[in-house]
Amino acid sequence: MYALRIADLTKVFDDGFEALSDITLDVSVGEFVTLLGPSGCGKTTLLKAIAGFHAPTRGTIEIGGVDVTAAPPERRDTAMCFQSYALFPHLTVAQNIDFGPRQNRVGREERGQRLASLLRQVDLEAHAAKLPNRLSGGQQQRVALARALALRPSVVLFDEPLSNLDAKLRQQVRHEIRSLQRDLGFTAIYVTHDQSEALAMSDRIVVMRAGRVDQIGTPEDVYARPETAFVADFIGAANILPVERRANGDGRIATPLGPLLTAETPSADATHICWRPQDAAPVNGSAAADNVIEGEVAARAFQGAYAELLVRAGSAPDQRLHLPPDAPQVGERIAFRLPPDKLRFVRGDAA
Amino acid sequence: MRLRRTLFILALLMPGLGVILLMIGSVFYIAVAQSFGYYNLAGESAFSLEHWREVLGSRQFGRAFRYSLYIATVSALGSVALAYPLAIWLRRPFPGSLTIGAVLKAPLFVPGLVAAFLFLNVISWHGILNQALMGLGITDAPIRMQNDRGAWGVVFLQIWKNMPLALLLLTGATQSISDEVLDAARDMGAGAFARFRKVIAPLTVPAMQAALIIIFIGAAGDFAFQVTAGPTNVQSMAQYMVFLTDSFGRWNQAAVVGVSLMGLALVGSVVLAVLTRVVVKGGQR
Repeated sequence: MYALRIADLTKVFDDGFEALSDITLDVSVGEFVTLLGPSGCGKTTLLKAIAGFHAPTRGTIEIGGVDVTAAPPERRDTAMCFQSYALFPHLTVAQNIDFGPRQNRVGREERGQRLASLLRQVDLEAHAAKLPNRLSGGQQQRVALARALALRPSVVLFDEPLSNLDAKLRQQVRHEIRSLQRDLGFTAIYVTHDQSEALAMSDRIVVMRAGRVDQIGTPEDVYARPETAFVADFIGAANILPVERRANGDGRIATPLGPLLTAETPSADATHICWRPQDAAPVNGSAAADNVIEGEVAARAFQGAYAELLVRAGSAPDQRLHLPPDAPQVGERIAFRLPPDKLRFVRGDAA
Repeated sequence: MRLRRTLFILALLMPGLGVILLMIGSVFYIAVAQSFGYYNLAGESAFSLEHWREVLGSRQFGRAFRYSLYIATVSALGSVALAYPLAIWLRRPFPGSLTIGAVLKAPLFVPGLVAAFLFLNVISWHGILNQALMGLGITDAPIRMQNDRGAWGVVFLQIWKNMPLALLLLTGATQSISDEVLDAARDMGAGAFARFRKVIAPLTVPAMQAALIIIFIGAAGDFAFQVTAGPTNVQSMAQYMVFLTDSFGRWNQAAVVGVSLMGLALVGSVVLAVLTRVVVKGGQR
C-alpha cells in the first residue's frame, strides 16, 4: 500500500525556470525515503510540492490514496520539519507540540495523552514549559519533530532538519529520528544533500539532479550499483573514466588507464566506467597482469584508518585510491589492481 | 570614581533629558498648576478646586470627553484594522509592491489641515461627490455630508491620516516573522484567520500596541479635523479648550480640560495596551 504517489510532477516557476521535470515516485507506508542531491537540484521544491506550498504545473500527488494536488497545505495529511525548525517563538515547548492537535480540534484528553507521550519520546519532559529560545539546537529540533508527530500525519516531511546542528549532534539526532520513525511506523520523506546521512537513514534514496530523478534505489543499490556517472560521483567518492569499447572480442575495454577487463557486460547507453577508491588492491612487483595499473603518487593525505592517494597513470586524470596507512609516499611508484567485478558501467557525465 | 561615572552618564543624557524635563515637564507643570488656580491670567492666583468642580460639572465637558474618547478609539482601532491586511500583503516584495507601499504611506506627508480641506472639496454641498452623484442622475439634489452628526467625516480623516503610520509599524513587525513559521502554522492546519490570531497577532503585539497608542493620543487631541469637518453639535476636548479661552478667557478651566485630555490619553493608552494583550492572548486559544 502506498502512502504517497507522485506521477509526472513538473514545476515551472513564474520566471520560466523548470525546477521539477516529470517526477514519478511511489512511497510505501512506513518507508523512509530520502531525496538526495546537490543544492538547486529541486529536492526542497519537490518536498514543498508534497506539503502543498508549491502548486505543481503538471502531474498529480496522492497521499493515502487521495488526490491532494490542488489541496492547500492545511488540508493535507502531512507534517513538516523545517530546516530552521520554525518553532513558534511565543509558545512554550508544550504549546508548540499541542498547536496542531488543538488546531485540528482533537479532544482535550487525547491531546494531553499525545503531548505527554511525545514529550517522553523526545526526552523533553523537563523543558515543557520553556520557550524555544531557551533550548539548544538539538532540543529545538526534537520539539519540531514532536510537533510534526503530534498531528499523527500519514507522511512526515523533513527539510534538511539537521543542517543547523554540529557534526556530533547531527549523528545523534539522525539516529533518534530513524529510531522514532521505526517505532511509530510513520512514512518519512527526508531531504538532504549529505550523502552519508542519506545512506545511514534511508530505506530508499532518490538521487536528484537538475529537477530530474537520476536513480531510485536502496542505499546499497545507489552506492554499489550506480546507474549514472553523476550518482557514482555524488554518492561517495568514485573514479570515473570514459570508455571506448573494442570490437576484438577479448572482453577488454579501452580506457585512459589502458585496457581493462570487466565482469559486467556494458549496456548500449553506457559511456563511462567507475570504481571506488577502496576497490583498488595494491600489487607488489610487475604490472604484467590483467587490470594492474602502474603510476606515480602525486598527492597523499593521511585519513586515520587509511591513506588517500592521488595517482598519476596513463593519460587519465589523477585516480583516487584508499590504501592502508603504510601506502607509498608522494613521488614513489605504485602498482594496483582493479578487480573486474568492481568496475561498473554508467551512463552520462559526472557532476 | 562611581560618582564621576554617574555624572558622566547624566551629562550624556542631558540633551535628551533636558528637552523632556524642561520643555515638556514645564508645560505639564504649568497646565496642572493652572488647573488648580495658579498662573491665573485674569485674576488672583491661589490654590483652588473650583475650576475642576465647574468643568467636571458641565454637560458640555462630559459630551466633549465622550466624543474625544469615541473618535480616538474608533480611529485607532480602524487604522490598525485596515493596516493589518495591507501589512501582511506587503510583507514580502512583489512587482509593484514598493510603489503601492509608497502611495499608501503618502498621507503621512500631507498636513492634517490640508487633508481636511481636500476632504471638504470632495464632500461639501457643491463638492466633487455631490456633483458626480447629480451628474450621473443618482440624486436630484446635493446631500449634506459635511459636518455630519455621526462624525464619520472626522473618523474617515483620522483613519486616512493615521493608517499609514500603523502600516509603517506593522509592516516592519510582520516582515520580521519568518516565512517558515507561517508555513509551519499552515502545515499544522491553521487557515488564514487562525494564522493571524495564533501567530501573526501575538508576534506583532508590541507594534500593534504602539500604533494603537500613538493614534489614540493624536486623535483624542484632534482640533484641525474637528473644526473643519466635524459635527457642529458637539466639540472635541481640544476644541472645547480653545472655546473656553477664546470666548470667555477662562484659562484655568481650559487648563482643567487640557489636564483631563492628558489623563484621557494616558489612561486610554494603558487600557488599550492591556486590552490588546488580553484580546490577543484570548485569540490564541
